[in-house]
Amino acid sequence: MTEAEEQILELFKKKAAVVSAKVVEVKDLEEAMSYALDVCEKKDFCELVYVGEGEKGGRYGQATQKMFAAPGLSDRQFGGLEKAGREKGFTVIREGMRGYVSGIDVGFSIADLGIADTGCCVLVSGGEDARLAGMVCEIHVVALAKSKIVNSLDDAENFMNGIMDKGAMFISFISGPSRTADIERVLTIGVHGPLELHVALMES
Amino acid sequence: MQTAKTMKHYHKELSEAIENKFLRQTLDKFAVAYRANRQLIFADVNAKELIADIAAAKAATIGRYDELYDQFKAEAEKRGVIVHRAADGEEANRIICSIAGANKVKKIIKSKSMTGEEIHINRALEAIGCEVTETDLGEWIIQLRNEGPSHMVMPAIHLSRHQVADTFTGAVGEKQDSDIAKLVKVARRELRSRFAAADMGISGANFAIASSGTVAICTNEGNGRLTTTLPRVHVAICGIDKLVPSLHDAMRVLKVLPRNATSQILTSYVSWMTGATECTLNPDKKKIMHVVFLDNGRSALAKDPVCGPALNCVRCGACANVCPVFRLVGGHKMGHIYIGAIGLILTYFFHGHDKAGNLVQNCINCEACKDVCAAGIDLPAIIREIRARLNEEEGSPMASSLLAKVLANRKLFHTLLRFGKWAQRPVTGGTAFIRHLPEIFMPGGNFRALPAIAPKAFRDQWPGIKRKLSAGSKCRVGIFAGCAQDFVYPEQIRAAVEIFSAKGCTVEFPLEQSCCGLPVLSMGERMAAQSVAAQNVKAFAAGGYDYIVTLCASCASHIKNNYTRILSGQPELAADTARFVERIRDFSSFTRDVLQLGAPDLVKSGETVTYHAPCHLCRGLGVQEQPRALLADAAEYKPSAEEEVCCGFGGAYSVKFPEVSVQLLDMKLNNAEASGASTLVTDCPGCVMQLRGGEEKRGKKLKVEHMAEFLSGKLKK
Repeated sequence: MTEAEEQILELFKKKAAVVSAKVVEVKDLEEAMSYALDVCEKKDFCELVYVGEGEKGGRYGQATQKMFAAPGLSDRQFGGLEKAGREKGFTVIREGMRGYVSGIDVGFSIADLGIADTGCCVLVSGGEDARLAGMVCEIHVVALAKSKIVNSLDDAENFMNGIMDKGAMFISFISGPSRTADIERVLTIGVHGPLELHVALMES
Repeated sequence: MQTAKTMKHYHKELSEAIENKFLRQTLDKFAVAYRANRQLIFADVNAKELIADIAAAKAATIGRYDELYDQFKAEAEKRGVIVHRAADGEEANRIICSIAGANKVKKIIKSKSMTGEEIHINRALEAIGCEVTETDLGEWIIQLRNEGPSHMVMPAIHLSRHQVADTFTGAVGEKQDSDIAKLVKVARRELRSRFAAADMGISGANFAIASSGTVAICTNEGNGRLTTTLPRVHVAICGIDKLVPSLHDAMRVLKVLPRNATSQILTSYVSWMTGATECTLNPDKKKIMHVVFLDNGRSALAKDPVCGPALNCVRCGACANVCPVFRLVGGHKMGHIYIGAIGLILTYFFHGHDKAGNLVQNCINCEACKDVCAAGIDLPAIIREIRARLNEEEGSPMASSLLAKVLANRKLFHTLLRFGKWAQRPVTGGTAFIRHLPEIFMPGGNFRALPAIAPKAFRDQWPGIKRKLSAGSKCRVGIFAGCAQDFVYPEQIRAAVEIFSAKGCTVEFPLEQSCCGLPVLSMGERMAAQSVAAQNVKAFAAGGYDYIVTLCASCASHIKNNYTRILSGQPELAADTARFVERIRDFSSFTRDVLQLGAPDLVKSGETVTYHAPCHLCRGLGVQEQPRALLADAAEYKPSAEEEVCCGFGGAYSVKFPEVSVQLLDMKLNNAEASGASTLVTDCPGCVMQLRGGEEKRGKKLKVEHMAEFLSGKLKK
């Protein structure tokens, strides 16, 4: 890693911490996935799932089964993850997220880009499952290759233009967990989206 | 939402807001925290440069809405989006209702959209039987309470946690705790099922990028992403002013918008939606996506050479955050839909003159908003322009047209001012204050003692002073007095003349000078402002001055920043105007930077002194260090909290809105007294008038002096 790359990496870590993202360093995607599974194991059961049937008949209650979603993985990647998750007793899915809108434990995504001076991850996700997994989860774990971190917003422009020029696509900048300060300006983490955002920085 | 029909009713509402202790406390805390946080978050970027870039890029876009709209439409349609353009709110609502109808929509969720508020889209959709749920926490709270937003970014900032708990108790049907974290969870839980059940999601748009047909939104809560992803139909409502040519233009604004709005580098989520992406609920597995562009007066405003820049607004809400009046009365009294300085302006253009008439009067012209505007809009100047137009449309109020007529004739104006000293005798009791002015002459104005007109105006003292002055070799200074010092505080100019002479200047006072014109311009009397400006330029044209110095921060900033524009219709004066504007200097920066007045010239005393920074000096002219350096050289300078916040004078403002003015004065004097200083120095006779008048009523705990008076007393003889 060159000195410039080192600086960009440090800047990313610093800015991501400012927005309350938890940054960890891992070797590769496999390690990132096993980190995410650990996170899922250590957390409490999802507190916000819809129990019962139908919109009127049900109620909210605590889950009794851990849910882990990882859309956007290849068959091979998902196969390994699914097996490891099942061994821990989780239900691991990669599609049909609309069935779990009331909440899941962990959503796992792979970022397409990181922007150091804002500490944000860029996720390109045309598919709704990929977006929903990152929104309805309590903890969102994003794997980001160190090589994909650019210095500034300006440096992300070419990448984005390349996608936006091509056709329909949804690009998300994600900086930290969801938050609000709408009641008495008190910062409160976790409103409609994740309560925590973890970024697993991958060596390769 | 501001709805008062008459000024009397508006005053009543303002007084009620001022009495609201929770609102006052919240907004006080917010004002102080916002300034500190903003400074921190801009520490690593050059804010001035970025803002200037945004303003320039926006200015280049303003006349191109039609072309950008066409390009956006073509690009978005290529990507499966249906694009509409509505001339006004009614048409926009009709379009959105028909989209709902065509798609058999019953349940709708919304993420935040000020444009949606502007057109009252909820009402329109509810009228056709749809159920609309706001999902931004603040918007949901005010929707449940049937209120309008009181801030563009924090719509429920006027409410306490207890009020929110009560509101949620009513909405959910079970008693809610007032713990904020728990209240947020209530919203998370209650709204999640609404997201799941919705047929249509309505969002706003922070940017509409023409080159790719992309709509982008910034949100923190994550509701924007759910709103635009879950339902089978997505409608984005977007003012045509949100059109930008390219991603680069959007990114440029993105560097300032979250920083200025909420002191964040970026919002938690920025969603860039290009075209109709996957939605498994629809038969073709594609989202049904519509973008509805709203004109509603924007195209006409774009052609307006003076007010057009209001369209540069990026809706960060910062103009409210720093507004001393907003801080006192809250957003429901500072805008119809849009809030703050930009709210006063947009109310006039989007919601009609009748709704804006009272609101546009409620700007104290402290320029705090202009100073922080993310798009570099000269908001106070646009507000003044609107006042002028309202006067032209509806006739001037008697006071302003009378003053305008008198000012047009300098001799008459000055004769009347001289006459004032005889007329006021019954009420001064022989002191320097007007003591017994019956309430009827100035309703609510008795919160401060007003100064009496001086026995002998400076212009009448000048021949005597001049005889005793010797010519200096350093530079030739022309004094521009301004009305307040000429007729009320001539001793302040005498003090300045003493300092200038001691430092080797030749001092002159051209007698043909008149009022700078700011008071009449603020009242919307455009012609009178032009005529006195021309009078002043001519009065100083022949003197060959190296510097023209004024002790009045408002005169200085008005001349420096507005004369060129005001006199642009008089090309024969162009050269003289340019020379006048170039040479005008305020007292403190001239004394410090040009005359180099400092420790060697002064007898430093142990006197403790604090400072009030006049709005038009610290912001209007950007003079900040010089006055404080002068004070530190002459005495023990003890900084006060919030030195740069307005004292509440604002010229005619303090007469029009005494209930606001007195509050600002009180905060100012509380802060000054808390500094522990015995003297309060400032740089503007208007501020002296306000502060000294307030101290006179409070029992003179502080001596209030103009910088010139203060320094002349410390000059080594």
